[in-house]
Amino acid sequence: MDRNQITKWLKEPAKMANKYSLHAIYFCTGCGIIEVPPVITARWDAERFGVIPVATPRQANLFLITGYVSVKTLRAIIRTYEQMYEPKYTVGFGSCPVNGGMYWDSYNTIKHLDKYIPIDGWIAGCMPRPEAIFIAVTHLWTLIDKGMATGYIRYKENYKSYRRNQEMALGKLQWPPLHPIDSDSEEAERD
Amino acid sequence: MVVKIIQVILSPVLALAIGVFFLGLARKIMARIHWRYGPPLIQPVIDMIRLFYQKSVSHGRMFDLGIVLSLAGSIVVVLFLPFGGIAPLSSSGGLLVILYVMLLAPLGMALSGGQAANPNISIGISRKLILSLGYELPLLLVLLAVMTRYKTISIVEVVSAQQSAGWAFISFPLFLSGISYFLILPAILGIRPFDVSSAPQEISSGPMVEYGGKYLALAHIEHAFVLFISIALFVNLFLGGAANPVIFFAKMLVVFVLGLCINAVFPRFRIEQAIKYLWKWPTLLAFLGLIMTLIVRS
Repeated sequence: MDRNQITKWLKEPAKMANKYSLHAIYFCTGCGIIEVPPVITARWDAERFGVIPVATPRQANLFLITGYVSVKTLRAIIRTYEQMYEPKYTVGFGSCPVNGGMYWDSYNTIKHLDKYIPIDGWIAGCMPRPEAIFIAVTHLWTLIDKGMATGYIRYKENYKSYRRNQEMALGKLQWPPLHPIDSDSEEAERD
Repeated sequence: MVVKIIQVILSPVLALAIGVFFLGLARKIMARIHWRYGPPLIQPVIDMIRLFYQKSVSHGRMFDLGIVLSLAGSIVVVLFLPFGGIAPLSSSGGLLVILYVMLLAPLGMALSGGQAANPNISIGISRKLILSLGYELPLLLVLLAVMTRYKTISIVEVVSAQQSAGWAFISFPLFLSGISYFLILPAILGIRPFDVSSAPQEISSGPMVEYGGKYLALAHIEHAFVLFISIALFVNLFLGGAANPVIFFAKMLVVFVLGLCINAVFPRFRIEQAIKYLWKWPTLLAFLGLIMTLIVRS
């Protein structure tokens, strides 16, 4: 653990503080959430890494998608993700968000979560052990350090295509677009 | 004059440092009681740096101003509280001013949350106000007993009287009031078993639900000030204050760690259970303390 890198703290305080203060939104999307209570309580104490669960998306900057994502849940996931403040990081937990997992031919789950919201990292497995969350957190530290955890920037840049995918899965969305969709460039593409 | 100006600038900074230290210590000690390793002591500072760098959305002008109002109220109270030998404005006003200005902090948070119009916030604020109705009654009785015993409303005189005659906490009639204040201290601090207003599992952390980014950082700073104020008031009134800040800080630390032990092992009261408790034992003790003080005095 590199907690004592004072020069790094002085040079890039925002990046270091983002690394060591990951507040995860406590949102249960599927069966994978059963691995989270042991992680945050006495057996595997996540708080020593600065990871604690918070109750509202406004206070959170880490989103763990735990388990399969049904179409109904996808609506809540997108709204929650859009309510979080930047910089924010998402981690897909388990096989199902990666490629559908055992629900690959189900009629009401989505297969590839990263079509709908940007994902910074995956934890594969069904179920992953609680230790896998810590490995994911340390990998996320590396990504933040190298400036590669840029999911929220990708979301902003490619918002039009994300929004189109979301509308394909959910029908018409009841909320306004988070980022401005540039209609002029759309027309330019058609031409 | 110059010394006074330096003290006015220095004492809120000192209070903030101690409050933030207490926040970190709370998380560490709670973790050790739960048999966890716990976060580093500076974790609240890391969180605050992160929150100040994060983007945030305002929900209106009152949302911004309310939190500033509550922060300003807390800083003013800090100026009126003697901290060891440091007492910038405590020669004027005294306990009555503190009682009035202490109300600004929850009021500001209520105004700020009200602008955001989230139903969880309304539930949280109504619980907070009901809870403060619960603890204000014993608190006023306790302060009345102290003022009657020492025949003054000035905290500085209360402290100096205790330094010649011994702590109020171990003197005969006032120890009842002291125990009563310690029993309502968790309710004033909003920690378990009285964290009904900010219950994360029930109402998504209540009044804090729409705070994020720098607003949440300011709310954390507010909480640090509230921690400092309520514990420093207890130390001043019942543990005899102190001649220098170091001893004062040590006394605060003891009180805070005792409060944390209560916080770590108790589950949460429901709001009506909290009121039932607050209006029974602490009020009874405070009332008894007041009557005994009056009898002893006459």
